[in-house]
Amino acid sequence: MAFYDSLFNGLGLRVWCDSAPGTANLSMASLLAKTNPETANSGPIFPFPSMDELYQACSSFPQSREFTAAVEDAFLNVKDVLKSVLDPLTQPLSWLLELALFSFLAAPWWIIIPLILLFVWYVCRSVVVTAFVTLSFVFLGFIDHLDAALQTLAIIAVCTGICILLGVPVGIAMAKSNRLQRGLIPLLDLLQTLPTFVYLIPLIFLFSVTEPKLYGIAIIVYAIVPVIRLTDLGIRLVDQDVVEAANAFGMSPRQKLLGVELPLALPNIMAGVNQTIMMSLAMVVIASLVSAPGLGVLVLRGIRNLELGVGLIAGLGIVLLAVILDRVSKAAIARVSTDQTFK
Amino acid sequence: MLNIKKFAISCALVAGLSAGSAQAQDCGEVSITEMDWGSAVIVTQVAKFLLEQGYGCSITVVPSASTPALASVSETGEPDIITEVWTNGAPAYIPLLEAGKINELTHVLSDGGVEGLWIPVYLAEAHPELLTIEGVLANPDLVGNRMHNCPVGWTCQVIATNVAKAGGFEASGVEDFVHGSGETLTASIASAYSSKEPWFGYYWSPSLVLGKYPMVQVALGSHDPAQQACNSDVNCATPMVQNWPSSVVTTVVTDTFEASHPAEADVMRNLSFTNAMMNGLLAWQDENKATGDEAAVYFLSTQQDIWKSWINDSARGKLAALLQ
Repeated sequence: MAFYDSLFNGLGLRVWCDSAPGTANLSMASLLAKTNPETANSGPIFPFPSMDELYQACSSFPQSREFTAAVEDAFLNVKDVLKSVLDPLTQPLSWLLELALFSFLAAPWWIIIPLILLFVWYVCRSVVVTAFVTLSFVFLGFIDHLDAALQTLAIIAVCTGICILLGVPVGIAMAKSNRLQRGLIPLLDLLQTLPTFVYLIPLIFLFSVTEPKLYGIAIIVYAIVPVIRLTDLGIRLVDQDVVEAANAFGMSPRQKLLGVELPLALPNIMAGVNQTIMMSLAMVVIASLVSAPGLGVLVLRGIRNLELGVGLIAGLGIVLLAVILDRVSKAAIARVSTDQTFK
Repeated sequence: MLNIKKFAISCALVAGLSAGSAQAQDCGEVSITEMDWGSAVIVTQVAKFLLEQGYGCSITVVPSASTPALASVSETGEPDIITEVWTNGAPAYIPLLEAGKINELTHVLSDGGVEGLWIPVYLAEAHPELLTIEGVLANPDLVGNRMHNCPVGWTCQVIATNVAKAGGFEASGVEDFVHGSGETLTASIASAYSSKEPWFGYYWSPSLVLGKYPMVQVALGSHDPAQQACNSDVNCATPMVQNWPSSVVTTVVTDTFEASHPAEADVMRNLSFTNAMMNGLLAWQDENKATGDEAAVYFLSTQQDIWKSWINDSARGKLAALLQ
């Protein structure tokens, strides 16, 4: 006798219930009940009316595993349509990642490292930071981790670039529309908390597992959030008096955005960019679980074979990259901020 | 990441349990690992049921994986029982066994695990020439120009890469694609099956995946144990194309557990499945959309004749209700 028998009897559904043969799998609990008959009636006094509990009383009622199976079937049914839309749309991401990985590795070290150092000097104009970056690369090269570090750097460069390209306009739109902001904030929360493999494994059904865009998407989905949030915040924080003055001068919305709001919001936007870079770096090991090359692969090898040294050194390499990227972007922010004060 | 988590969880649970397994008379608390693949869940759940109901043990199941479990046993002496260690895939196994830190009780899959390179059944039916490696290399586009290899850090990755090197896979147009994780390797099979695309790569049996997506093994040629040692080495100078040896799959206990729980160790020594039995259980599990627990229950409630001989008289008495 199941607890909810009387419910189905009372509703006059008994005939419908008994029309389906009960084919539920024997659960551990019922096996234990068979083993020790005296414990058979020790179930909860008032069980929650869950699908499985209702099934006990009425074998026509679906079990909860049929619910998960239906979700799976639904995904497999729309798979082909989704594929024809998403696959071409995301293809440029694969090309970009392949191109970046190829060019970072194909160039000899005496070209790529000076280029990186020049870039560092250009964005932050700081002797200390440039010297630190030089030392770090010399160290990584000396312990034979340069190639892996450059691969990781190439992936991060592409992913952060796309995050900024997509994130800043979205942030601006959010700042301009309260309704959009209310709609998007839950979505941003979702992007940051959704476990990576939960959406990556279905994505393998849509794209080939060998496509670089798989890990590109994993990184971008997670890292795009801070740049959107902080662009939104930065523009909303622009002094209303200044905006009023711009209005008084008869500036068009476009002039106002490009000439007043964006420059004043720049320190905040740059802080968002800094966070985006750091979060893409945080995803490096997860990305390696979907075949991203670089330092993450070495970390995984270290963990799986208990080669603690390999794991620790690769981890140290990731930390070193993180410090470099953080220092460089912070120095760039500081430069942007001081430029503004003097103007 | 997953592995780190599992390792942390096992460590945490192990730390909390180190007080167990002291009393020999009334069994007391015993910790047992549960690996994250299909057959291991069934083995663990069957063992848990028999030890709890037949021997009055209080079992703690520790979710784990081979390498972290072995490391934990060698460093802390916990958990007490490790089920389903695939020794081919655990480089730490032989040194630990030789150092006497672990005791091998039995081959829990008595036929041993089958590893190798496989193609889906529909591909083999359409193109029977793909059943040998020569046929695959002569028609690389029929298998999608790709060998799906194990993730970095699995022993099979080194072996498959050496086989690919020796067979000139790249030159024949078959790319050696190293997956990032076991999950993506499995998903690539499911994805290929859902649209009947070509697939060629490494997998093992008995496993839930091969039960659900039937595959046939590609013949690689005879097997030489001495050569296998070279094939398993990253720096192997003379790799050769040859079949995997059947993997020894064992149940392992700690020294202290075997000494203090002789009766319980005997059950674990007897607890062993043939590949046919295990494949049957995994197929049943898939057909009925069941969980590992339910497959264990199915085994316990339908195949009493088999497990009746695993346990001693007093346990048979306690489980009499089920044995009738």
